[in-house]
Amino acid sequence: MKEYQLSYIRNLKQVMLLSDTSQEFGLDAEHFLNARQEKRRQIGGLVKENSSLLRKYLFPLLDDITTATRQDIDDLDEFADALMPDNQDVMLAYTIRSSLVAYARHYELRDMLIRELYNTGMALFHLNSIIETTDPHRYRWKMRMMFGEAAAYIKVYDEIEDPETRGYIHRSMGNLALGYNTGSVSNGVKKMQILRRSLQILTDPVYQQKTPSLPWDTYIYKSHQERTTGLSFLRTGLADAQTTREVMESAEYVWERQQEVSRRTGRPLSTRWHVTYNLAQYHCGILTLKQLLTYLEELYMQRDLNDFSVEGNYNNLFLPTLYAEYLSKDSRYRAAKKEVLGHMYRMMLRYVRRIPSEKMTYHFIRNLMTTFLNFIEYPDGIKQRDFLLQLVVCRNPETFVYLQMTACVSEMLLDRIADRKPELLIGAMGCRTTDEVLASREKLKRLAYDSGMFHNIGQMNFSRLTTMTGRDWLKEEQELFHYHVEIGANILKRCESTKLFADAAMGHHFYYDTLGGYPKDYEPREHENQVIVDIVGLAAYFNQLLDNTIDYTRPPLPLDEALRMIEGKSGTRFSPVITGLFLEMRDELEEYLKDGRLKAYELALRYMKEEDSPL
Amino acid sequence: MKKQEKFISAWESAGLPVIVLERAADGFAPVYQNSAADALCEEPGRSLTDHIPEEIRTRLLGGGPCPVEDELPFLFLIRSGAYSLVPFRWEEYRVCMLHEVTGYYNENRRILNEAVMASEAKTSFLSEMSHDIRTPMGAIIGMTDIALMQEDIPARVKECLNKIKTASGHMMSLLNEVLDMSRIESGRILLQEEDVDLADLLHEVLTVIRPQADAGKLHFSLKLGEMAEERLRGDSVRLKQICINLLSNAVKFTPAGGDVEMSLETVPAGEPDRVLLKLKVQDNGIGMSEEFLQRIFVAFEREEKSTTSKIQGTGLGMAITKNLVELMGGTISVKSRLHEGSCFYVEIPFTASTDMEESHRCALSGRRVLLFDDREDQAEQIRGMLGRLGVSVDAAASTDAAVDLINEMAFSDERYFAMLTVEKVKNAEMLLFLPQVRQRMGADFPILLLSDNDWTQMEYVYTRAGVDAFIPLPLFRTRLSAGLYAFTDEAKQELGESGGKRWNFHGKRILLAEDNEINREIALELLGMANLQIETVENGREAVDRFAETSPDYYDMILMDIQMPVMNGLEATRTIRALDCADAKDIPIVAMTANAFVEDVRNSLEAGMNAHLAKPLDMNQVYSTLDYFLGRGGR
Repeated sequence: MKEYQLSYIRNLKQVMLLSDTSQEFGLDAEHFLNARQEKRRQIGGLVKENSSLLRKYLFPLLDDITTATRQDIDDLDEFADALMPDNQDVMLAYTIRSSLVAYARHYELRDMLIRELYNTGMALFHLNSIIETTDPHRYRWKMRMMFGEAAAYIKVYDEIEDPETRGYIHRSMGNLALGYNTGSVSNGVKKMQILRRSLQILTDPVYQQKTPSLPWDTYIYKSHQERTTGLSFLRTGLADAQTTREVMESAEYVWERQQEVSRRTGRPLSTRWHVTYNLAQYHCGILTLKQLLTYLEELYMQRDLNDFSVEGNYNNLFLPTLYAEYLSKDSRYRAAKKEVLGHMYRMMLRYVRRIPSEKMTYHFIRNLMTTFLNFIEYPDGIKQRDFLLQLVVCRNPETFVYLQMTACVSEMLLDRIADRKPELLIGAMGCRTTDEVLASREKLKRLAYDSGMFHNIGQMNFSRLTTMTGRDWLKEEQELFHYHVEIGANILKRCESTKLFADAAMGHHFYYDTLGGYPKDYEPREHENQVIVDIVGLAAYFNQLLDNTIDYTRPPLPLDEALRMIEGKSGTRFSPVITGLFLEMRDELEEYLKDGRLKAYELALRYMKEEDSPL
Repeated sequence: MKKQEKFISAWESAGLPVIVLERAADGFAPVYQNSAADALCEEPGRSLTDHIPEEIRTRLLGGGPCPVEDELPFLFLIRSGAYSLVPFRWEEYRVCMLHEVTGYYNENRRILNEAVMASEAKTSFLSEMSHDIRTPMGAIIGMTDIALMQEDIPARVKECLNKIKTASGHMMSLLNEVLDMSRIESGRILLQEEDVDLADLLHEVLTVIRPQADAGKLHFSLKLGEMAEERLRGDSVRLKQICINLLSNAVKFTPAGGDVEMSLETVPAGEPDRVLLKLKVQDNGIGMSEEFLQRIFVAFEREEKSTTSKIQGTGLGMAITKNLVELMGGTISVKSRLHEGSCFYVEIPFTASTDMEESHRCALSGRRVLLFDDREDQAEQIRGMLGRLGVSVDAAASTDAAVDLINEMAFSDERYFAMLTVEKVKNAEMLLFLPQVRQRMGADFPILLLSDNDWTQMEYVYTRAGVDAFIPLPLFRTRLSAGLYAFTDEAKQELGESGGKRWNFHGKRILLAEDNEINREIALELLGMANLQIETVENGREAVDRFAETSPDYYDMILMDIQMPVMNGLEATRTIRALDCADAKDIPIVAMTANAFVEDVRNSLEAGMNAHLAKPLDMNQVYSTLDYFLGRGGR
């Protein structure tokens, strides 16, 4: 690798270390705040340095990729590889891989093209996992395009001499299945067809004889592993008999193979494949739901709360989610197992509290998001709102502070509106007159506070992006980040305790004049509490100007400058009437800001202590 | 007749001609006429009814109710005199009394002749005046446009200019209608006999009507029925005028939220190569009263009611339309109900034009295309049309499905001949998807865009995305086959060249700022092939100096690399924009970079650059960008 590439990787690792707030645990609020500000300053410096390195060395080369030397290309390949472990910088890796595809096409380097199509497909697979729950289309078709093109070279297999390239063709054929989720019939069927075709070729002795040096067993094993993801297709209850049989076969194949390897090497068995095997048994009618749930409970009890590996993630995060998903199939079990699930959620929280920052991979975040999207809320059990707040405060106290301050400012602004222009609040929470508004004032203030507190919950899905990117964002990253509004709303609207805050999550970046902001299809008129959304949107923007929790390179603005910025957006981003009332609050805001931040940190630190946790 | 004999003497002595009709099997028949009526007959013994004009006779002798009660007396000429006939019912008889009105008739005829002459004079006057007024009006409109293009116009002046523009535009359209009417009335309209491509014609009509419908917040739809022939012989300008008049009327008189629908078909007319064009324009607007419906096609007639008083118009549109339809040998009719809407029906016979379809069919038969369209009905229509040409279609309604088809085809031994794509597919980012298809399928793979929008407005963007050609919607078989045929070897041979578009920017000069020597050399070679004059500099500072030392308009465009030593592209652009030269503000500056942070892209636009070209340079993209800035869409 070139010197700038090594420096970039070094800086990236340093950013990851500095992002970890666990080192400040135990400090009082003031020292915590000071320590974080110092670390943010350091991160800001590293972000600037890394961005500058890319601007100076990498981007000019990618812009003129056809002029790159062979050595440049090899270094880029190595650099992109180095960015991929734990998806440290998957977007940059994808950018580099795309340029390498262009290079290979330009010089008609077939072997390189096949390899880079595969690598680009893999980078897309990791990008897809970030937003899969919200927009499964954005990257899937590109993945299929990349893997499909590489796999189609099977037609000229004999013309390709390099065994490694032949290996990429086989891997692409199998990985083409990654481009299909199994939540729908058409995708499920297609995925099974692709894996069937891939396995037919992999088990064909003619191909094996043509390239004996390839790890055929591994390829076959991986294909079976991928075929077991058909379990989610089985869960839809729509799979045909052939699919059920094939998933069962693959689950058995993988489990036997696991046992064999474990016997041979002494390595412990992977929980995941044992679970897969038993789930397949359930779907084939061998196990009852009761037996399956009992099995999952027993397995859960064997977990290690301090295991932060992929296996540990699976046992501590994914197993409870899976348990909840199967529990929801039968209302009797759902009621009977309330305490069990409640315990699992509490333990999950403890696990999330303990995990070191560098272990917070995209895989981990994806498991966490899956938990939210399958969260079961009991009327007298753990509430999603408390669960979410705990997670935010544990994993990112600075985000908690930002949310808490937004909540307070939103509440203050609502109070001011109720005083001065209560008619603006007609419609919110069903109020039909100003008298009703004034009678519901406390309820409305509570809603404004809570909406402020939860409006940015979707940002958790991008916590790596916001805290560990280690350089300026690329356009694609900015567009990805926009999904946080939909992700947040999807999480909140599922549960009784949070569904009222979903509007603020969805609409807080949408412009008052409807000409700007996102998401594009947001329709303010459809939301009866739109005025609360407007209030939260303004309060959130105000707090972002005063703090720099996302963009570490931008210094926080003083109060008056922030108010001037807001005034400049009156009538476009923000309602002119609400902006006017907000600007009148200058002195009140100044008073609040004297110790508002410190108090928010104090609250965060209190929540971070396990003994003070409301759960 | 016995019981009426007592009256005969009275009728005889009355002196007026009288005819008595008696009920017969299928109406009425003459049974008696007095001597005064006999005297009017040219041949003795004949019934006077034989001398009455047929139209009046038919009504008198018909079985219907006696016409006199709600109509004026009939007026006609017999021998040298003019008579009015008043029929009335008398028990089961019909009695017709005639009054001589020769003096009255002659006087009226004189007045009529004078009126006709005056009308002709009016028509001639209007025609002449319209011409004379249109010329200065053209100048007013043009000069207003020029004035509006000036920078730093005071707000009040700009407001006045905009009002002048609106009013003069309206006046011009009124003048055109008056001129048309006067031409029709003076018989000076001659219809052209030329090939009419209904696909082109409809596309042009929709380009005019769709924005009007959108502005009025109406739902506009088009239904194409059987298209026995798509190319006709006739006057395309006047046919377009008929369509636009009917549609504009529908749009004008339909309130926001309403529907306007146009239906079109051509059906065989019984004779070889003859077809009947059937056009229907329906709306659910304000409709017309029974009374006005009788006068809808009369010149200068407008229904006066509160809902129409604010709608501008001469009342000539429908009269012109009717006259044009009849000039073409067709018919027009209308049904309407007040507050419910109107429906106009037009039928015009045409001769079919010869088409090229057979040669297209030969060249295209057996090929397979990928269709990317999520509108099922339209996809089915395209499948049907291509089926007639022997072309197989694989249709995809999503990017996922399209990629699946491309992948499956890659695994098989077949190849897609081309891809047809619509402009918008749900959940698909076309400007990301199409370039990927282009890269995957290679430079020679035809990608054709189907759209009902104006191609000139989209060409720049879609050509950059990899689209080769455009086929207008609504889709016609001839247009589709011609579009695909253009990419066959047969068509390329006909053209006598390789089929690629030849770009020619002869006379245009660009400044290329690029620090990389190889890139400069490549750009010089490739841009030179398009006859561009290129001057190169190696950094931003040199670009600024070179631009500053040349005379205004010496360069037509600057291609600027972003990353350069001494002075980068952003700084250079800012410096150029700040120069005190005539063209420093508006010379197009296009950045050459693909990889940049969000902030960099914003910075380049803020620095004053007009566009970005992705590196490595794709020459089609470069040429289409040059075409945009140096050609039609340019300065």
